[in-house]
Amino acid sequence: MRNDLQNMMTRRALFSRTAGGLGLAALQSLGASLPGIPHFAPKAKRIIFLHQSGGPSQHDLFDWKPKLDAKRGIDLPDSIRMGQRITGMTSGQSTLPVAPTIFKFSQHGEAGSWFSDLVPHIAGIADDITLVRTVHTDAINHDPAITFIQTGSQQPGRPSLGSWVSYGLGSENENLPAFVVLLSQASGLNTDQPLFSRLWSSGFLPSNYQGVKFRSSGDPVLYLSDPPGIDRETRRRMLDSLKTLNGMRSEIFGDPEIETRISQYEMAYRMQTSVPELMDLSTEPESVFDLYGPDARKPGSYASQCLLARRLAERGVRFIQLYKRGWDQHAELPRDLRLQAQAVDQPSAALVTDLKQRGMLDDTLVVWGGEFGRTVYCQGRLTDANYGRDHHPRCFTMWFAGGGLKRGAVIGETDDFGYNIVQDPIHIHDIQATLLRCLGVDHKRLTYRFQGRDFRLTDVHGNVVDKMLA
Amino acid sequence: MKYLLAGSLLALSATAQTAAKIDFIRDVRPLLSDRCFACHGPDEAHRMANLRLDTEDGARAAIDSGKLVARITHEKKALRMPPPSTAELTPPQVKTLQAWVAQGAPFKTHWSFDPPKAIDPPAVKNDSWPDNGIDHFILSRLEKEGLKPSPQADRATLLRRVTLDLTGLPPSSNELGAFLRDKSPAAYERVVDRLLASPAYGERMAVPWLDMARYADTHGYHIDSSREMWPWRDWVIDAFNRNLPYDKFLTWQLAGDLLPNPTREQLIATGFNRNHMINYEGGAIPEEYLVEYVVDRVETTSTAFLGLTTGCARCHDHKYDPIRQKDFYRMFAFFNTVSEKGLDGQKGNARPFLMLPDESQQAQVDRLSSDIAKAEAEMDRSGITGLRKAWEEEQADKPRPRSDASGLIAHYSFDGSLEDISGHYQHGRITKGEPGFVAGADGQGIALDERSLVDLPGVGDAAAFALWTKVSARLDNRPSTLLQGASFTFWIDGGRAIGRNRRGSRFYISTGGRTYRTKTETVTGPWVHTAVNLSQPQPAIYINNARVELTDIDEAAPERWIRASLDDLRLYSRGLDPAEIEFLAVTQPAQSTLRIPAKQRSTDQRLALLDFFFENGAPQDLRTLNRRLNSLYDERDELQYQIPTSMVMSEMAIPRETKILGRGDYRNGTETVTPGVPSFLPPLPAGAPQNRLGLAQWLLSPDHPLTARVAVNRFWQMYFGHGIVKTGEDFGSQGEFPVHPELLDWLATEFRTSGWDIKAMQKTIVMSAAYRQSSRSTPALLEKDPENRLLARGPRFRLPAEAIRDSALASSGLLNAKVGGPSVNPYQPKGVWEDIAYGDTFSSQIFEQDHGDALYRRSLYTFWKRTAPPPGLATFDAPDREKCTGRRSLTNTPLQALVLLNDTTYVEASRALAARMMIEGGKDPLAFGFRTALSRAPQRAERDLLARQYRDQLAVYRNFPEGVDRLLSNGEIETPKELNRAQLAAWTTIASVILNLDEAVTKE
Repeated sequence: MRNDLQNMMTRRALFSRTAGGLGLAALQSLGASLPGIPHFAPKAKRIIFLHQSGGPSQHDLFDWKPKLDAKRGIDLPDSIRMGQRITGMTSGQSTLPVAPTIFKFSQHGEAGSWFSDLVPHIAGIADDITLVRTVHTDAINHDPAITFIQTGSQQPGRPSLGSWVSYGLGSENENLPAFVVLLSQASGLNTDQPLFSRLWSSGFLPSNYQGVKFRSSGDPVLYLSDPPGIDRETRRRMLDSLKTLNGMRSEIFGDPEIETRISQYEMAYRMQTSVPELMDLSTEPESVFDLYGPDARKPGSYASQCLLARRLAERGVRFIQLYKRGWDQHAELPRDLRLQAQAVDQPSAALVTDLKQRGMLDDTLVVWGGEFGRTVYCQGRLTDANYGRDHHPRCFTMWFAGGGLKRGAVIGETDDFGYNIVQDPIHIHDIQATLLRCLGVDHKRLTYRFQGRDFRLTDVHGNVVDKMLA
Repeated sequence: MKYLLAGSLLALSATAQTAAKIDFIRDVRPLLSDRCFACHGPDEAHRMANLRLDTEDGARAAIDSGKLVARITHEKKALRMPPPSTAELTPPQVKTLQAWVAQGAPFKTHWSFDPPKAIDPPAVKNDSWPDNGIDHFILSRLEKEGLKPSPQADRATLLRRVTLDLTGLPPSSNELGAFLRDKSPAAYERVVDRLLASPAYGERMAVPWLDMARYADTHGYHIDSSREMWPWRDWVIDAFNRNLPYDKFLTWQLAGDLLPNPTREQLIATGFNRNHMINYEGGAIPEEYLVEYVVDRVETTSTAFLGLTTGCARCHDHKYDPIRQKDFYRMFAFFNTVSEKGLDGQKGNARPFLMLPDESQQAQVDRLSSDIAKAEAEMDRSGITGLRKAWEEEQADKPRPRSDASGLIAHYSFDGSLEDISGHYQHGRITKGEPGFVAGADGQGIALDERSLVDLPGVGDAAAFALWTKVSARLDNRPSTLLQGASFTFWIDGGRAIGRNRRGSRFYISTGGRTYRTKTETVTGPWVHTAVNLSQPQPAIYINNARVELTDIDEAAPERWIRASLDDLRLYSRGLDPAEIEFLAVTQPAQSTLRIPAKQRSTDQRLALLDFFFENGAPQDLRTLNRRLNSLYDERDELQYQIPTSMVMSEMAIPRETKILGRGDYRNGTETVTPGVPSFLPPLPAGAPQNRLGLAQWLLSPDHPLTARVAVNRFWQMYFGHGIVKTGEDFGSQGEFPVHPELLDWLATEFRTSGWDIKAMQKTIVMSAAYRQSSRSTPALLEKDPENRLLARGPRFRLPAEAIRDSALASSGLLNAKVGGPSVNPYQPKGVWEDIAYGDTFSSQIFEQDHGDALYRRSLYTFWKRTAPPPGLATFDAPDREKCTGRRSLTNTPLQALVLLNDTTYVEASRALAARMMIEGGKDPLAFGFRTALSRAPQRAERDLLARQYRDQLAVYRNFPEGVDRLLSNGEIETPKELNRAQLAAWTTIASVILNLDEAVTKE
C-alpha cells in the first residue's frame, strides 16, 4: 500500500497542507516529521490510547487494600483526607464511609501484582505491562479532567495529545489519517458521561492535525461513501474531469494550492477504498475472534474497536485514540463495574497479546486508563452488596504495554486507604512527557507558537518517568 | 513554529537590513522579546540576574557595561546567552545586535504601545497606479523591493471577488451581466455600494465576529445543552447592516447595560460577554467556574479589542509584554460583577437573561400578570392556609379509601422488589441483568432497559392496566416498549423536541391488529400516570387522569426494546372506570404524600397535594379560583416557553470582591484589587467610571494606541488573508511586526476620523488598486513573496466554510435568504451528536434535522453545538467556538473533497444546479452552469472535456434508471417533472464537478 503513491506533497500527516505559502508548510510536507524530530532514538512508532472514560475504580480493579475490610463503614479519617476538596456530589454527605471492595483479588505474573477477579485477562498479561498505581491529576470533575489528560490543560483550546504527535511526527501511511479516533459506548446501565470533539481537536494547531473519527455505523469516515446513484466508474470519470480542469486553472494562476487540491481529491478517492477495507473484519481468522472474544464481531463494541486499533496500527497510523464510555460508577458500582469489565477486560489484554504475537509490541505503545480514579469512601448508602464511589484525582491506576516501557513492572504505592500517594507520585504531565519520550520526542521541544508563546503539551511541567522506561 | 515567524520576518526585512541601518523596533526588539524576555523581561518573579531588557534603563545598563555583547558572543557555550538549550541566537541575529549596539543602541517602547501617527501617504514613482491612500503605501514598498503591481483583475473575476468578500455569496448571473454591460468608470463603485447596502453584507461581516465572540447555540463544557443567543447574533448582523459606528458597536457590547436608560438592543448587545461556555457538570465546583467565566471575558475582550494576549498574566506577570498579574485581575474586576451562578444553564439560558417578547406576546404577558396578581390576591384574602392545615390534620385520622380490588390480576409497587402485592402470587422475576430500583412516583420504581429485563407474569392477558412511567430522551431516538402482554403492546415513540428544552413522546397501544396513537405528545422527563382500557372496538388511554384523543394508525408495534422506568403497575381482568382512574392517578398519590412528613415532600408532591386539597377539601368558590389560577399558571408557563430570551450582562448591587489568584487558581485568593487598566497603556480618561462603561471609554480614547489598529487590521485580514500584522490577536512583543506599519497607522487614523465608519473602511479597502489586482502569480513572485504579504498581486485563497456552502446553495438556486431568527439544523450525518452526547433529559443531545426552507438558510444560521460542531463546516476549518478565535486555519485536505463530493448538501445542490442549467441554460446548459457558479464562460478545452463526460454519463444513466432515481433522490428538493431524468442525472454529475472545482471554493 505504501508504494501506491509517490506524491511527496501529501506524505505528511495525511491532511497535511496548510495554505498560506510554501514556507515551512511545504518543507514539512516533504519529510515525515518536523525538523529535528525525533530528538532521541524512538522506541515506539505509534500509540494506542485506550481511554476508559468516566474513571474506573482502582480500588475494585488494581489497587487492593486488604486492611480496609476491618474499616468498613468508618468515616474517612481527617488525617487521610487532609482537607482536600471533594466534588459537589459528596461534599454534602454527613459521612464519608469507607467502602472496601467486594471483589476478590489475587496475585499474577512474576512480580506478583494484585488484580481483582473482574480483570482476569489483564491479570494474564501482567508480565507484559507496567502497572502505575500512583498517577494523579489536578482536576476533580470529568470535563476538566478528561480535557487535561488529553490536552494537558483543564480548559478547552489546546491541541490534543494525538494532534501533537501527528504534528510532530507525521504519518506513515498516505492513505489514512495520522490520528484516528474510535468511540465505544457504555456497557454499564447508568448514564454515560459525554465526550467532546475537543478531546481530539487540534486546538491552535492547524486543523488538519485533528483526529478523524472512524465510526462503527453509517459512513466509517464522515462523507466517505459516494452518494446514492454515483457508482465507482462515474466517480472516477468525475474525478478525471476535475483533475484536468483544476490542472488548467493551475497553469493560469500558478497557485500551488491548486496542485495540492488535486492530490487531496486523489487521496480522498483512495480513502474510499482503504478505509472500508480497514474496517472490514471479515478477513480476520477465527483465532483472532477467539482471542478478542465474541463481542469483536459486533460493530462498535470495545472488542471490535480494539481489533480495529490493531489493524490501524498495522497500517502505520501514528496515534489511535479509543474511548470506552461508562466508567462513572457513582452508584450501583458492583453491577455496572462488572458489566464494564466484562466488555473491556478480554479485548484489552487481547490487543496486547495480539501485538506481541505479531512482533508489533516493541514499537507500539498501549496505554490504558481513565481521567481520574475513584474514592475509597462510598457515595450514597453503603450496604453489604452495593456502593458507589465519587471522583478521586489524588491517585489512580493506569497501565502501559510495549513501546519502550518496562514489562512486568509495578510502580508506585498508595496509603492504606488508597487515598494518598506514599511513593512515586506520577502526574498527568509526567505521563504525557513519558509517552512523547517513547516516541523519541522531548516534550519541552515540541512546541508551537500561538499568541506569542511557544506552547507545549506539558505546559511548563512534566518530567519523564525514568522508572517506567525499559 | 519559531522558525516560521522569524523566517518570514527576516525574508521581508532583508532589504532594509542590508542597508545597515538597524531599526530597533523592527529588527532588535522582536529579537530581544523572543530570545531574552522570558528570563530578562517584565515577569518580576522569574527575572534572572536582576537584568531586564524590556526597559531602556535595564538594557542600557547591560550595554554600557559591555556585558550584553560579551555574553551573546561568549566563546564558552556554557556562558553564552541565551543558553543554547532554550533560545540560541543565529549568527546573523548576533550581528544585528552588535550593529545595534555599535549604532548607539537606540531604544524605544514597543511600536504598538505608541498611538498611531497621522501620516500622509508616501509619494511613489508610478503615480498613475494608486487609486487611494492604501495604494501609495503598498506601491511605495513594492518599489523599494523592486517589484511591480499586477494588472487589474478581469472584470468578471473582480466582481466575483468583491461580491464574495462583501456578502459571502457569488454574484448572480444577472448581476454579472449588468456589471459587464456597464462600461462607465463608476461601474465598480456602484457595485460596491450595492453590495454594502445588501442584507447579505451584515451576514458576511458577522461571521468573523461570531468566531471572535465565541458565539454558539449550546453551552459547551460537559453537558453542552442548548442556549439561546441568536437575538445577540441578529443584533450583530443588524449593526453591520445599518452601519452602527465602531465606537457604538464596541460600547454597547461591553457596557450597553450601563448606558443611561439602555434600550433593548443595547442590552442584547452585552451578550458579547455572555457567549462564553457555561458549565453544568454534576458535582462541579461553582467557584471554579465563576472564575473561568470571568477569565474568558477578560481574554476575549483583550483579544478582540486590544489585540493583546493577557491570558499568561492569569498565573504570573506576562513574560513578554508589560502586563503584570495584578493588571490581569484589575481587568478581571471589571467583569466580576455579573449576578450569575457558577453552575447554570441546565434549562436553556443562564441568568441573567432578557425576555424578548414580541408585541403580541408582551400583551399576553401583561394580561396574564395582572390576572394572576388579582387571583393570587383573592386567594391570599381567603384564609386558605388555615383551611388547608385543618384539612390535613383531619385527613390523618381518616380511614383511607382503597381502590376496588375486584378483577385485580396483579399489583407491582416496585418498592425494592418484584413482589405482586395483590395477593395473587404473580411475582415478577429478573430475566436479564440487574434492574435498578430508583426513586419512583410513589416510593420506589424500577428502571428497565435491554440489558436488565424482568418478567411480570401478571401482564399476560389483562383487559386494563394502570401504571406510572418515566421516559428520558434516548440517544438512539428509538421507540420503547413499556408493557407487553399476550394481546397488546403498550409503547412510546422516541419523541421529538417541543419548543425549547423540552421533549415529548406519543403513547401507543397496539392490540387486535391495530395501533392507536395519542394525538399529541406528552412531555417526557417527569413521571406520567397512564391508564389503558383495552376494551373493543377501540381502546382508551388516560394520561394524568385525562382521557386523550387517539388516532388509528396503520403501524405495527416495533420490535420489543425497552428503556424506561415503571412504578405502581396494576393489571385488571376488567375495564377501569374514570373514577377509579382518578383514584389511582390523583387520590392514591395524595394519600401517599400525606404520609410523608411535610418537610420531606418534593415540590411536585406538595403541589399535587395542594390541588388535591382544593378539589376535595376546599369550598366550591376556592376550588373554582384554584382551577382558574392553575390554568393561568399553565398559560404563563406555556408562553414563557414561546418567548425568546438572550443572555445579557448586568451589575450586581454589591459586586464580588476580586482578588489576585495565585497561579490563577480559584482557591488561592491573595491581594484584593479594584477595576483598572494596565499601567503601560494610557490611564482611564478623566471622569470615566470605574466600570465596563469606563473601560469602553478608555478603549475609545483618542490616545489609545491599539483599538483602531486592531480593528482595521482585522478588516484587512478578511480581504487579503493575512492582517498587516499577521498575528492579529497579538499586537504585543511577540506579535509580528507590521508588514506595512505606516499603512496600518494611516488606516487606523482614517477609521477614527471617519467617525468609526465601518462601511466606509470596507469601501476604502475594496476600492484600492491593490485589492483590484489580478491574483495570477509567477514562480518568481511565489519565490520572493510566497504569502503575498507585499501585495504585488491580488489575494487568492480558499473561501471560508460558510461561503463555500452558501455559494453552492446560491448558484443552485436553493438559498433561502431569510435573515435572522433561531438557528436551524440542515443535513448532517446520523450519530454525530449521539455518539458523544449525554443521554438524559438535557436538550441538544439528539439531532433533529429540519426540513423544507430551513435546509437552505445561510450557514451562519446553522445550529452550533460546541462539543460536536457542524461537520460539513468544521471540515473547512470553522472553529468549535469554545474559545475566542481571531484567525481560522486554512487547510486543504481529502476530507474536504469528501464533503464537496458526497455530503447531501452538495449532491442536492448539484442536482438543483443541473435542473437550472437545463431549464434556464436553454441550448447551452454548461455555459449557464459556469456563469452561475464561477462567474465566467467555459473555455474551449473545458467544453470539450465536459461534453465528453456528459455523453459518457448520459449513456450510463440511460441504461441505469435505478441509478438515476437514486441520484435524484439525494436531498429533499423535488425534481422538476418536465425534465428528462437521465439527462438531469448526467448534468448533475457535471454540476457536481463544477461545484468541486478549486475555483468554485476559492476567491480569485
